Amino acid sequence: MITINNISKSYNGVEVLKIENIDIPKGQNFGLVGNNGAGKTTLFSLLLDLIKPTTGNISSGGIVVSESEEWKPFTAAFIDESFLIGYLTPEEYFYFVGDLRGVSKAEVDSFLADFEDFFHDEILNKKKYLRDLSKGNQKKVGIVAALIGNPEVVILDEPFANLDPTTQIRLKAILKDITEQKQTTVLISSHDLMHVTDVCKRIVVLEKGNVVKDINTTPETLKELEEYFSK
Amino acid sequence: MYKKFLSLKWKEFRRSSYFEAALAIKILIVLGILYFGGIAILFGVAGYFMLQDMIPGTDPLLTLNKFLIYWILFDLGLRYFIQQMPVLNIKPLMIIPIKRNQVVKFLLAKTATSFFNILPLLFFLPFTIVLIVQGYHPLYVLSWFVGIIALIFMNNYLVYLINKTNLYFALIAGAATLMIALQNYEIFDITEYAYLFFHGMYTKPVWILIPVVLCVLAFIANYKYYLNHFYIDGAITKKEEKVRALDLKFVDSLGSVSPFLKNDIKMIIRNARPKQVLIMSFIFLFYGLIFYTQDIYVEKFPAMIAFASMFVTGGFLLSFGQLVPSWDSEYYKLMMSQNIPYREYLKSKLTLMVFATVVSTILSLPYLYFGWDIYKMILAGASFNIGLNSFITLYGGALNKVPVELNVKAKAFQNTNGFNLTQMLISIPKVAGPMIIFYIPYKFISFDAGIITLALSGLIGLVFYNPFLNLIEKIYQNQKYSTIAAFAEKNN
Repeated sequence: MITINNISKSYNGVEVLKIENIDIPKGQNFGLVGNNGAGKTTLFSLLLDLIKPTTGNISSGGIVVSESEEWKPFTAAFIDESFLIGYLTPEEYFYFVGDLRGVSKAEVDSFLADFEDFFHDEILNKKKYLRDLSKGNQKKVGIVAALIGNPEVVILDEPFANLDPTTQIRLKAILKDITEQKQTTVLISSHDLMHVTDVCKRIVVLEKGNVVKDINTTPETLKELEEYFSK
Repeated sequence: MYKKFLSLKWKEFRRSSYFEAALAIKILIVLGILYFGGIAILFGVAGYFMLQDMIPGTDPLLTLNKFLIYWILFDLGLRYFIQQMPVLNIKPLMIIPIKRNQVVKFLLAKTATSFFNILPLLFFLPFTIVLIVQGYHPLYVLSWFVGIIALIFMNNYLVYLINKTNLYFALIAGAATLMIALQNYEIFDITEYAYLFFHGMYTKPVWILIPVVLCVLAFIANYKYYLNHFYIDGAITKKEEKVRALDLKFVDSLGSVSPFLKNDIKMIIRNARPKQVLIMSFIFLFYGLIFYTQDIYVEKFPAMIAFASMFVTGGFLLSFGQLVPSWDSEYYKLMMSQNIPYREYLKSKLTLMVFATVVSTILSLPYLYFGWDIYKMILAGASFNIGLNSFITLYGGALNKVPVELNVKAKAFQNTNGFNLTQMLISIPKVAGPMIIFYIPYKFISFDAGIITLALSGLIGLVFYNPFLNLIEKIYQNQKYSTIAAFAEKNN
């Protein structure tokens, strides 16, 4: 589904990311792990064509993302709060995203009904603007909005951060579910090694912009990662 | 302790966007300050003699004192819109070991350096000096001056007490309008009574106790309020607003542009900065009064009338349009990673701009009072605005990469931060365009020929609608990465 070809990104001559080749097949749950500054968000921003690659390219669904915009209809993402529109209520935001992805209001409503547990009665019908919600609730809205309209590729930057334990567990179930049921390709980054080994079939470790590990998850993976990061 | 505060404030000032801004903006800001300051000083020096000329045989100080009541109300109204307590800055100071009352005192003292306090001083100080030179008793004049200063600072602190609800503004505006109306129809002249107080500050210095006491009371009220609400769930936090539900179903009938249009309408209604633009555009409606009332423009320089007429209907178009796409800067990454056609996005903004221009044209019907010729000019200006100015402004906006904080009111002079050299170049056709388009046929054929040409110029936009949109779309595409990066800066 996604192919990364010799991509690199430099700022003022300093290389912050350099990846020779990664192939992510359709329906894979792909996890990205690394310390601060390892290049996780840079890689996601390149995937979404929010920054221009210095060399190389990324193709998604056969489309080179920096050359055509055809990847947008089947891709959804939540990277940070700049993906939320602060002056909308959660409902209005979901409908807006639905409008952009060709999903009607009624379909959005029935889609949201499945997330009643996930929202924990703190999101819908609260008559609050997104900018007035707590960080955790904002994140819930952003993640759920990224799932509207069954996108084939979903990119989530640190989806577990700021969420309460119950929601973290529910989110893990949702992420596993959409890859198994709908063959969605899910890319997440996380600082929580336990969650990421739990959810992802494959984990790539970045350090200073380079791939240092590319692991297919097994029961020993968590240990391996913990050892790597404690050295 | 105060030294540390001062050094913090100095850094804030020194590193603020004014100084980080490009040279062109710095020059503009300095020019702006010099202009307003210069005008204030000039009027301060010449004011005495101007008042003498205006109403001969009356003591100029008395004339001024009669009208000070309006100045006080106007000053308060203006502050109401622009002056904001910089409360959020003290959040980091809350848990470090500094006494609360010192932080609050400093916060309040700092507001005294506001532009709104300095500007009137630049007028009243020279005016007072002129009074003394003219032989008024120095001690009495000084007492009057002290009273005026107390009034300025009373307003400064009063505004923080009243700007919590819109009710007070309605009261102030209502009172001012009522007074003007009553005076105009010679029913009741407030100035005949108000001057007793204002002139009293000169004749019987004991009167200055009133403003001084009120000023101190306003300060204490603020001090107590902020001391008691010095908690992150108190005055320090931004208020959570109630949601204004909007029924925008009628927009759905407009087709593919409707999701964007619905968003844009909500954006304007629910955020402080665009609301300010809305109010400004309303004030622009009165811009014509400056020119239409002066015979010299009407008879000798009709090109200036064309210029003014463009502004009457173009207030919203110009001030909103120059910040497209900056209005969406807070969530620009979302817009760029979603399936959003630039064309629909642009059309939505264009629709709003055209709609506002049409509404302004209707609202400016009272200008018919100045004659059919003037209104024809306004109609021609509106046509120019809709057809040409809209595209020129959107083109300029596309090159403008200043992030906008939607729910924060713009400060005085902050409006200039949308300025750079390209912006200045772009603004030339916006301003000079209607003048030139009108003037050439006017000079060589007739007044009506000028108006018809100006009106027809709007058709260019209709004919070249698609090429113009393509051109602007190209800019959006070419500048995509740099725009995202520029908008991201403020968000961090």
